[in-house]
Amino acid sequence: MTMLNPDFAEELKQFSEDSALACFNCGTCAAICPLIDSHFPRSMIRYVQIGAKERILEAATELWKCLHCGLCTQTCPREANPGEIILGLKRLVLDHWRKS
Amino acid sequence: MYHPRDIIETIAGNLRATRNPFGIPHFMVNRWWGRSKLPRQGDALLFTGLMYQFIPYIEKSTGYLSRYEDTPLSRYVGYTRYVPSYLSGLGLAMITPRREKQKMNGILNNIVRVLNASRVDFYYRPELDHYSGILLYDLGDRDTFVTHARWLADRLKKAGVRKLITVDPHTTYALKELFPKYTGSRFEVHPYFEMIQLKGGNNGRRTVALHDPCFYGRYLGLSDVPAKALAELGIDCAELERSGAYTHCCGGPAESVSPRLADDVGRRRLAQLEGTGAPIVAMCPICLGNLRKLGADVRDLSSVLVETLS
Repeated sequence: MTMLNPDFAEELKQFSEDSALACFNCGTCAAICPLIDSHFPRSMIRYVQIGAKERILEAATELWKCLHCGLCTQTCPREANPGEIILGLKRLVLDHWRKS
Repeated sequence: MYHPRDIIETIAGNLRATRNPFGIPHFMVNRWWGRSKLPRQGDALLFTGLMYQFIPYIEKSTGYLSRYEDTPLSRYVGYTRYVPSYLSGLGLAMITPRREKQKMNGILNNIVRVLNASRVDFYYRPELDHYSGILLYDLGDRDTFVTHARWLADRLKKAGVRKLITVDPHTTYALKELFPKYTGSRFEVHPYFEMIQLKGGNNGRRTVALHDPCFYGRYLGLSDVPAKALAELGIDCAELERSGAYTHCCGGPAESVSPRLADDVGRRRLAQLEGTGAPIVAMCPICLGNLRKLGADVRDLSSVLVETLS
């Protein structure tokens, strides 16, 4: 069971662009991402949309596999800027680690 | 994969203590200019951001990370942040081969030769040439990056610097895009290949496989500039499956947290480049280092440009 946090999008605003809700989960980002063995960054964007902060923290180290290459942002048909959202999640997780 | 927090805290601690992500004293890292007679005044400051100078140290340290990744010993990486920065930095500097440092210094001297041949009015002041902090930004440590960037921007402003000539995409992006956003300081920033004006070339028409780094190709949209500079010299760029805004990452950015991942991604890019059959040319120290680590014979753009001068 996963607890959903409806305020998560608000919390993320201080670390990232507020563009996750523009995503309609088409999967273009996951298809173009050099991390070909996972649904990255699509799954993380989905967790942001539904406020699944716990899931993000559980899989937090995966965020650092992101090469920050920008291909997902370049190809996103909704201009949801997935690359910047992932960078924002890194900031949020690092802040969480440093405070805990 | 290493725990990202261990890597970030080590790099952040070193940067805070020494202004250098490895903890190596500035005078030991930045020695390339020693034999060059560079003016200390001029129109634009040549700003290397120390990225080329760091490559031998990156290769040495990621060599160890590669050896112990996903082994029981990998957990001890977390303790490196408790080692005093200068101590670990000096140790790394001592075990890094001199010839590798000289190779990278040679690239910077080639860039100077190309700028001189293009009659660019530039100057160099080693005390102003510091690391931009970009790796910490990419790793998500925005706070440490911003603190460092403000310190550096302040130094440059106090020295009256307005215009900068950069030599790598990461520093270019940091100074051009991130410094105005996070420090409020705006500089006129040009990668060196935007400044050069070379004609001719005496080796006949030839073709190279020019690897566009993500930051030039996508983030800054500058890939066509070096390609045009090469075309003026009779050097064509082979058509690549992925280039420009859709270029493929070299894998280098992952090398601090997962050398294995960096190798996997790099091998895919190398196959694309080798598929052209043309000599491979890079214009980013991270790409150069990561592709070379995979055994590829890769040259830096500056070496190709300087060849046409003789």
